[in-house]
Amino acid sequence: MATITCREFLAYLEPWLEGERPQDAQAHLRTCRNCSSVVSDLELIHTEARSWSTAEQDAPERVWASLRAQLEHEGLIRETIPAHEDAAKAEAPRAGWFSSLFPRLPRPVLAGAYLAALVAVAFALSGPVNRRVNEARWLKGTQTSTSPLSAQLDFAEQNSNSYVARSNNPDVTASLHQNLALVDKYIALCEKSVNEEPQNEVARDYLYEAYQQKADLLTQMTERGENVQ
Amino acid sequence: MSTSHFVPAQWLPKPSWKTAGLLVPGLLLCSAVAAGPRRQEQHFKVAAHPVITIHNPNGLITVKAWTKSEVMVISTPASDRIEVDAEQMGNRVDVSTRELSDSVAPDDMRADFQINVPEDAELQIHNDAGNVSVANVLGDMNVETVAAGVDLEDATGYLTVKTVGGSFTCTRCAGRIEASSISGNFRLLDLRTYHVWAQTSSGNILFTGQFLPNGTYSLKNYSGVIEVRFSPGDSFDLSATSLKGKVNNEAKLTPSAHQHHFMPKWGNALFGTFNEGRAKIELTSFDGTINILKRD
Repeated sequence: MATITCREFLAYLEPWLEGERPQDAQAHLRTCRNCSSVVSDLELIHTEARSWSTAEQDAPERVWASLRAQLEHEGLIRETIPAHEDAAKAEAPRAGWFSSLFPRLPRPVLAGAYLAALVAVAFALSGPVNRRVNEARWLKGTQTSTSPLSAQLDFAEQNSNSYVARSNNPDVTASLHQNLALVDKYIALCEKSVNEEPQNEVARDYLYEAYQQKADLLTQMTERGENVQ
Repeated sequence: MSTSHFVPAQWLPKPSWKTAGLLVPGLLLCSAVAAGPRRQEQHFKVAAHPVITIHNPNGLITVKAWTKSEVMVISTPASDRIEVDAEQMGNRVDVSTRELSDSVAPDDMRADFQINVPEDAELQIHNDAGNVSVANVLGDMNVETVAAGVDLEDATGYLTVKTVGGSFTCTRCAGRIEASSISGNFRLLDLRTYHVWAQTSSGNILFTGQFLPNGTYSLKNYSGVIEVRFSPGDSFDLSATSLKGKVNNEAKLTPSAHQHHFMPKWGNALFGTFNEGRAKIELTSFDGTINILKRD
């Protein structure tokens, strides 16, 4: 049976997470390590999100639409990688789903990909205020969903700094660094608020937006670095 | 099709030994001048709803609408180490600045532009530093900067502005406005628009304008001041929340006519209806101050 491409598999992603197992999708997952990795990570997020919700609600359509749109916008959806490259990748250790999924993409694209992750995190962080869950669970959930992202952003920031250092406009470089510091400060303050009041939806909303701003800023910084190369 | 204005060859004087002594120092002077700013003017004939894109690292970009079906680009690069490319592809005119060598000093990377476009033009502008000023353009607009300020006047259409640290001023704008920044201040003056979404982290937001029936106005920051000025004839449903800051209100609100599904129990919050509550206003801050003040 002719296997489908990664791009075609994306159409199966949402039904797959809902439990559908079409044969051609199964066949593709058996041969594509990248898509398999994406599915396992999304299943994890999906399971976590479900476990946080007493209402057992599904991820809304907008989450999948946003995720799909972001992946398409960033050019992350592409044809399947040749088998020999797949085999080579199989030897490499798994270093996080974004980095293992898109190892050859330039940094700007990779930084932009964090926005896609944020869509999933946003869903994880969102929810009715009066949800009947205890604070410890909220706090744990927030930390679980934001900690890997925070680490990924810190890694991206290190790369961005090396890029932006080559920018030849000191005003622009200074502005980017000042604003990055500002966003980091807000992230720290928001995290403090969330720790103090885990169910405070406003604080969680601000924390999410601060992460989004940081991802956006890092994307700009890396794009700028490429332009001055 | 574009036309460029240069000095025609026939205008140059015929060489002679007598004039050579005068010409050589003159030409040397001219070449010295040529090494400085080189103003270039280009014209492009366009059809209705043309798209103009501008990519510039640093400089003043001034765009004005005129009645001609033509785009005029006057560029002034700061040095001969950069070059301005302006080219037309169909009904689209792309203007960009590029380096001519690997190492260009920051001061040499600057180019200023004066651009005239038809009223219905769509603009896409990217300018890292300097300033962007647009007046009387009625088409959609997307402006992105890092440190550059953005000034829009009498603009309509779908206006999206994104800066990192640059300020944004929109005067007498209509249509739909979406603006975001990290540290830029926003001044939204005398607006007449149905949709405003403005978000800045540390910047201040000032809104003076009409709250149109069925309009939605969402202003959000982290710190800083959000100030909204209303007139007695305005009609709006207000939601103002500052998690750790103050909310100061001069509007005599009645309990909201519309059911709020979400009533936060954190911070200082204010909900209510002014007159019939025809427009919807949402003001949100983390630790900033929110002022709802009467217009003078």
